Amino acid sequence: MENATTPAFTDAQLRRLSALQDTIVPASEDGSMPSAGGIDLLAYLSTQAPGYLAELAGILDRFDDPFADLALGERVELVRGFSESDRPAFRSLVFRVYDAYYQDDRVRTAIGARPGAPFPGGHSIPAGDLSSLEAVKVRGKGYRR
Amino acid sequence: MADKGASPSNDPVDVLIIGAGASGAAIAWSLTETRMRILCLEQGDWMSSSHYPTTRNNWEAQQFGAHHVDPNVRALDVDYPVNGTDSPIDVLNFNAVGGSTIAYAAHFPRLHPSDFRVKTLDGVADDWPVTYDDLEPYFVQNDRIMGVSGLPGDPMYPPKQLPLPPIPIGLVGETVARGFDRLGWHWWPSDSAILSQPYEGRDKCLNLNPCMTGCSQGAKGSVDITYWPEALRAGVELRTRCRVREVTVNDDGMADGVVYYDADGRECFQKAEVVIMACNGVGTPRILLNSKSKQFPDGLANRSGLVGKNLMFHPVAVATGVFEERLDTHKGPQGCCILSKEFYETDLERGFVRGYNMQVTRGAAGPLATAMKGLAGGTIPWGPGHHEQFDRYFDHTVQCLAVCEDLPEECNQVTLDPELKDSSGIPAPKVTYRLSENSRKMLAHGLERGKEVMRAAGAVEIIETPLLRVGGWHLLGTARMGADPERSVVNGWGRSHDVKNLFIVDGSIFVTAGGVNPTSTIQALALYIGDKIKANLANLFDD
Repeated sequence: MENATTPAFTDAQLRRLSALQDTIVPASEDGSMPSAGGIDLLAYLSTQAPGYLAELAGILDRFDDPFADLALGERVELVRGFSESDRPAFRSLVFRVYDAYYQDDRVRTAIGARPGAPFPGGHSIPAGDLSSLEAVKVRGKGYRR
Repeated sequence: MADKGASPSNDPVDVLIIGAGASGAAIAWSLTETRMRILCLEQGDWMSSSHYPTTRNNWEAQQFGAHHVDPNVRALDVDYPVNGTDSPIDVLNFNAVGGSTIAYAAHFPRLHPSDFRVKTLDGVADDWPVTYDDLEPYFVQNDRIMGVSGLPGDPMYPPKQLPLPPIPIGLVGETVARGFDRLGWHWWPSDSAILSQPYEGRDKCLNLNPCMTGCSQGAKGSVDITYWPEALRAGVELRTRCRVREVTVNDDGMADGVVYYDADGRECFQKAEVVIMACNGVGTPRILLNSKSKQFPDGLANRSGLVGKNLMFHPVAVATGVFEERLDTHKGPQGCCILSKEFYETDLERGFVRGYNMQVTRGAAGPLATAMKGLAGGTIPWGPGHHEQFDRYFDHTVQCLAVCEDLPEECNQVTLDPELKDSSGIPAPKVTYRLSENSRKMLAHGLERGKEVMRAAGAVEIIETPLLRVGGWHLLGTARMGADPERSVVNGWGRSHDVKNLFIVDGSIFVTAGGVNPTSTIQALALYIGDKIKANLANLFDD
């Protein structure tokens, strides 16, 4: 959903964005969890938080072009520097990356959560064992008048 | 003083209720049998269950924005800001038809019999002018209308029947109950205003989890879907997006109506024979303090000087247990599971008077909340190691809240902020609050007992929250009941000592706070006051 206030992201910015996402949520070592780099963050933001796009463009400009080509450990150090220099901006970015990541159906399935909205599918949970309440009752009245 | 002549006119009404939340809805419904013309003004809108967050993929993110429980974070145009800089606990609320029942957990215990007699039993604060037994029939009536699920037989209460069997306690409840059993402590399934079975045209709970962003299923008893449909059918008028600025008085010192801003921001005057405040323990004193006149220079109904004073929260400490086994904590009503009243009644050997409820809840909702809480708490990093730590906590954490009884102190209060205003220019409330020594000791005790039960249940790690800042749900005591006009704002049935046609029915009138969530008692009290009004209709304003 492009509009007049949506900045146009360059290819270089998009590469940096993917690398930034991948740094914040890398793939798991056992390969069971994908990295956030494969999530289309711009599509998510365009529909769910378009007001954040301009701030994101500013964040991406804090990183140089080679950022996307660095090894994970090197990117982590650069992102850590950003997190320490501007904690609110970093937290906002992480919030958006996490939100997009944990909405993804593949990710939700992998963590054992229902894909999509909770309603109307809902969840089933066991009633639970109430048998030990007999012992609680035996202790007798516990209130005062 | 408002210029009553300059505003658009509205036909006079017999009863004007300010606020369409838990208590306003209950008393509106109660008074319908009088056939009086009843009008309710509500600053918020009707909510639509089809638009609640759980119908959307981004349901979790909305908890941090438009559906946040803190009005200062939410900052919708129907909200008013609250200056809470002088309080360690943030005021929480929701402004809509249904009020904070839209966003509450629906944990629905009644106050205990001893809560109404704290002076007699424990020598602190004051007894209430009503007893548990006075309210008992209204608890029953309210449970029926709200649709309350629970298990009879709890030895911590007088015998009571509930309309529906308990909601499932699930793996979370079973696991923590084992801890209580090992310690020999009381526990019981929570009374919940959540349907465990289809009931009166509403379907049962789907275990969606985040009850506090509104129930898409309609299984949670919020008053927009319980009391209000019946009240509207019976002829009550409800006007939304009407923000009351002040209650006005005539030359005789009687309330004669209110000045409010309508949906278009126009200043209006609504004349009324009786005015009923139902705006919660912060909203009600805010309006009364803003209703200054020649007769009431310190605010309406405030000759005692107690309007806004004696603010009570329920300070909350949290022990979060981390378990090796997966407990499916993102499934099931978040705030309703099991509880313990082991430390509810006074035992001075503990070092404090009165006590607390231990409320077991089902974790930090979904994955986003888990990850963000982990980030804030330093337990789940971003970057390498994220997944391993996320797996350790998601669906593996259970919270045990110590919901502590706060005692009334005049220094804890709501006043009008001299600078901060809402979008209509009405002064915002300022909250000045400090924890008493008794509350501090109780919190510390509750935290330790919470850790103890988590360990007994098998937790391998415990995260401590000594005081929950985002915990000011229960706003109580700021226009207290009592027989003595020097020491209370309203009498034993909610009528102002100073203004005989002004009533208050929300949590403001609590004399003490008890140690449980107050909505059930707030509504029972509103129904009780409704019956008193009906019984005294012929001489309602007499001394």
